[in-house]
Parts: sequence; structure tokens; C-alpha cells
Amino acid sequence: MNKPLRIALTKGRLEKDTVKLLESLGYDCTAVHEKGRKLILSIPDGNLEVVLAKAADVITYVEHGVCDMGVVGKDTLMEMNGKLFELVNLGFGKCKFALATKKDYPFYDGFGIKTIASKYPNVTKAFFENKNMDVDIIKIEGSVELAPLLGLADGIVDIVETGTTLKENGLAVVEDVAQISARLIVNTVSLKMRQQEIENLVKKVEEKIHGKTN
Amino acid sequence: MRRYDLITPEGTKDYLFEECALKRIVETKTRQLFKSMGYSRLITPNLEFYDVYNLNSRYFPQEELCKLTDNKGRLVVLRPDSTVPIARVVATRLKEAMLPLRLYYTQPVYQFAPSLKGKSTEINQTGIELIGSGSKMADIEVISMALSVLSSVGEKIAENVNFSVNYSLELGDVRIFRELMHRLNATPAQKEEIRSLIEAKNYPALNDILDKIGEHKITNALKKLPTLFGGEEVFERAEEIFQDARIAEILENMRELYHTVCDMNEKGNIIIDLGLVNKTDYYTGLVIKGYLEGYGEEVLSGGRYDKLLSEFGYDIPAVGMAVNVDAVANVIAKKYTPKITAPDILIVAEKGCEALAVKKAVVLRESGLCVEHFLETDFDLAQDYARTRNIKKLILISSEREQEVCIA
Repeated sequence: MNKPLRIALTKGRLEKDTVKLLESLGYDCTAVHEKGRKLILSIPDGNLEVVLAKAADVITYVEHGVCDMGVVGKDTLMEMNGKLFELVNLGFGKCKFALATKKDYPFYDGFGIKTIASKYPNVTKAFFENKNMDVDIIKIEGSVELAPLLGLADGIVDIVETGTTLKENGLAVVEDVAQISARLIVNTVSLKMRQQEIENLVKKVEEKIHGKTN
Repeated sequence: MRRYDLITPEGTKDYLFEECALKRIVETKTRQLFKSMGYSRLITPNLEFYDVYNLNSRYFPQEELCKLTDNKGRLVVLRPDSTVPIARVVATRLKEAMLPLRLYYTQPVYQFAPSLKGKSTEINQTGIELIGSGSKMADIEVISMALSVLSSVGEKIAENVNFSVNYSLELGDVRIFRELMHRLNATPAQKEEIRSLIEAKNYPALNDILDKIGEHKITNALKKLPTLFGGEEVFERAEEIFQDARIAEILENMRELYHTVCDMNEKGNIIIDLGLVNKTDYYTGLVIKGYLEGYGEEVLSGGRYDKLLSEFGYDIPAVGMAVNVDAVANVIAKKYTPKITAPDILIVAEKGCEALAVKKAVVLRESGLCVEHFLETDFDLAQDYARTRNIKKLILISSEREQEVCIA
């Protein structure tokens, strides 16, 4: 028997959605449901091994090849910019990056340099570089919505799902930055060294996803 | 105040004992191979003018270069790559030399790695350049060296130490991508995005952008390009997709090359990937990559670069490849730890007998033994020292005699 294929899942909602997907493909994920505090779990009938990690760590593990594949949000992929293959858009975990300001704030007016608060400084930098716009970026760890309210920033670049948090705090989306959903990523060497196994799994996953949307 | 006097910069390290020995094992083995194929070693300076790397055919992002200024304020970099300076040497001092030139090197390259990712800024490389020939045999020669490096990774590591490491060698050709892009009606920005999506095998996003550009033969072919990897079947799939005389010719040559390579290879896996399209490459045709089981990135890469030398005023074709010595050493380290052997003999000199001791040691070394001097005169201390160091034999030199003691 070959070494199992190791797949890293982003803990939390993406993990649940991925396990659901794997189960619908016929894999027995009992071990993942009964994980307790364990972080490496095996799905013996699929010769798979599931590793649970934080989103950014999923990318790190896959990039270094200690995990062959991973499931992670496009948001983290955009922020981290790793060298890996991004094979499948899994369709779940949908949301978007957006630029938001206080409602009716004239963000693009005037000649002054704007200040942007974000948990995602690289995404923010790339977005404004594309517009040839110089901005000051301040990294915020928690509720980014506070920054414009407290007068620290003109706007924020953040993940928007329903927009409720923005609305309740008197903020509004000015512009969408990018659409986000969960991606299946693969290490560049694993795809070549274990092509057959990975392609089989990818094919099954793709059939399932497209079956759902059609 | 000295804050950084006890550490090395991020991405660099000191190689001690076993690590150093492993690195030397890899370097020595590849060097022997290169020499046995008629290659001569050259050493280029660690420092090069920035202008050497300011090329049309390859882009070195300035944030990744280790930059300094010379005593006239000119911008100098620690070499980020060895092929470019070799092109410079060949186009200048070796311009009158007989072709082809077969050169090899073993030297580090420097490129700032992203912070806190466990990547190195200083990477030890060893590689070859075969300059002045555009023939199929030149490609085959370089590929055969790559295969020899990969297949012998676990062989003859030390006396009676052999193990096998699974490997794959991958072949591609950037001309297929170039041909398609040449005919695609898109802005440079779009083209760059398409390239990066093909490189990342990001199928969904690639389909989106190509759908926006339009649906026709070229966009359909580009969508399929990153999926075209694997074995022999890739050629059949490619022939169906690319119905074009120029691409068909490139594919036919590649297929021939693939068969030749499969015939020379005994145990590894040969794969084709038509979606190898790295932005930072000066490659103009064949590209190769080598993988070892247990290492998450390629350990070897190379290809044909027929336009690079012309940037230095000497228009000749060339092909080459480089091995990441640190990566290969890393793979070997998982299965083998070099033994740092203790000296065979410890010599202790009584006061006044230093010259005698040194002469004795020289004689013993000539017979092939490793001999260490004890630096004090106390015989008991010397015995303790030998025991701790695991030295089996001790020789005491005094004015009247020589005494040998075996240490239990």
C-alpha cells in the first residue's frame, strides 16, 4: 500500500463543508467526526490522511510538501501568494473582498493620500497598486470596521459575507475587490509524483460539484 | 550597540560537521559526474554588477536581489543565478574559444526569500552549461546528466551505504505556450495573468479570463495547456487540441526526445508537462525539472536558453541545468547521517619532545592514518581525552622512548 495522500483542511466551516463533500463521495469520515483533540486523522478506505490546521498554515504545509493537498479560502491564498497549484474552485465558503467606507463617504474625492485599514495588507496593496494609487495601509487584527468609525482610516478592505456588520455600523461597500470561495490546492511535486491518485480524487470532486450546480 | 553579533541573517546558516559533510558528498558526486562528461569548472565572483542581471529575457525582481554598492557608488548584487554570469564570461573572455563549451560550477546563489517561510536566501547550487550547440544531442546530453544526478542520489553515499530514492524528471517546451500567446489577441496585462494562471494550474480562473476574451481555437487550446501533463498519452491529447503545423512540429520533436529519454532511463519516472511556463525564465525551448520523493519543490531545473548570450553580444545557443545541493542533501539526510570519524591516533609529547612528536605524526600520516596532537603534557589527561574522543590508540613520546597504549 502506498503512503496515504495527506490533505490539510482549514479548521472550522471549510473543514465541515469538505468533510461533507468527502462523505458524499463515499469516504468514511468517522475519524474526523470523532477527532477529539487529534490533529492528524485517517480515512483508511480512501488511503487519505486528514490534517487540521489554520488557513495560512494549510498553505505553508502544502507549499513545503508535507501535505500533498489542501482546502483553503481564496482570501488566504491571495494574501499569502504561495507557489502551488490551485486546481479546483470548490464553490463553498463563498464571500468577497470589498472596499468599504462610512456610508456616503467620498472615498475617491480629493488629492490626499487615503488610509486603509485591513487584516489583509497584501491584498489591499495589490488592489491599489493596480489602480496606480498610493495609499497608507494599517494592519488591524480584530474588527476592522472600527478603524473608519474611530477616524483612523478612510476605508477598509475586508471580507464581506452578508454585509450585516457593515450596515449595523453605518458602513457601505464602495467597490468589490475579489470574489472568494474555497479552493483545492496541490503541492507542485505531489501532483507530478502522485498524478494518478490526485487526478482520480480531483475528478470525483469536480463531478460532484458540477453535478450540484447543474 | 551590537544587537546582531551572535546570529546569522534570516535564510542563511552555518554548516557544521554532518551537514557540511552531506553537502560535500552531494557536491563531490555531481562534480565527478560533470568531470567525467568532459566539463571544466569555472568560478565567477560572488559579486556582479546589477547591470548583468538587468535583462530583457529574464526579470529579477529587485526586492529579491541582495544589493550593495561598490567604492564608486555603483550598484552591485550577490549573484542570484549562475547562468547569467557564465553567459557574460563566454561572451567576453571565451568569445574566441572553440565551441561547444562545456562548463560546470559549484557556488551559492542569493535571493531574498519571503520572511518566516523556512526558505533560504543562500542556496548552494551545482550545475552545467553546454554552450554553442542547438542540436538535439546537446539537449540529450544535459537531460542524461540530470537523470544521472537524480538516479544516483542514494548511491555510494559512503562505503556500503546505498539506498534508493524515487525520482521524476519532467520535460516541457515553452514554445508551445509562446506560439499560442503570439496569436492571442489580448493586452500584455491579460497575457501575464493567463501565464501566471497556467503556471499555477488554476483551471477555474483561467477558464474565466479566457471566456471573457472569446471562444475560439486559441483560447480553447490555452485552457487545456495546463492539463497536459503526464506520460505518453499527453502527446495524443495535445495533437487533438493543437491542430497547427508549427505546434505539431514542436510536439513531434518533443515526442522523439521523450522516447529517447525513456530509452536511456532505467528506473525513474519521465513526465511531460506542456504547462511549464515560468515568468522568470530565459528559456526558449526545452525546459526540465527534477523531483525527489520527500522534497516539496524541484531539486533540479534547467533548459535551453538560445537568446541569453546574445544579450551580451554573442549570439549562440546554449542549454544547461542546475542542482539544488541543499535540497538533495536534505533528502539524503532523512536516510543517512554521515559519521564524523575519530582520529586513529593521539600523540602526547613530553616536555621538550615536541619536535620528535611532530616528526612521528608526519610519518604516521603518510601511511594514511589520522593523527591528532594532544596539546598538554599530562599522560593521564591524554588518556581521558582519548577515551572521550573515542580515539583507540595513544602514543607517548618521551626523550628515551616511544610508548603505545591501546585505549579500551
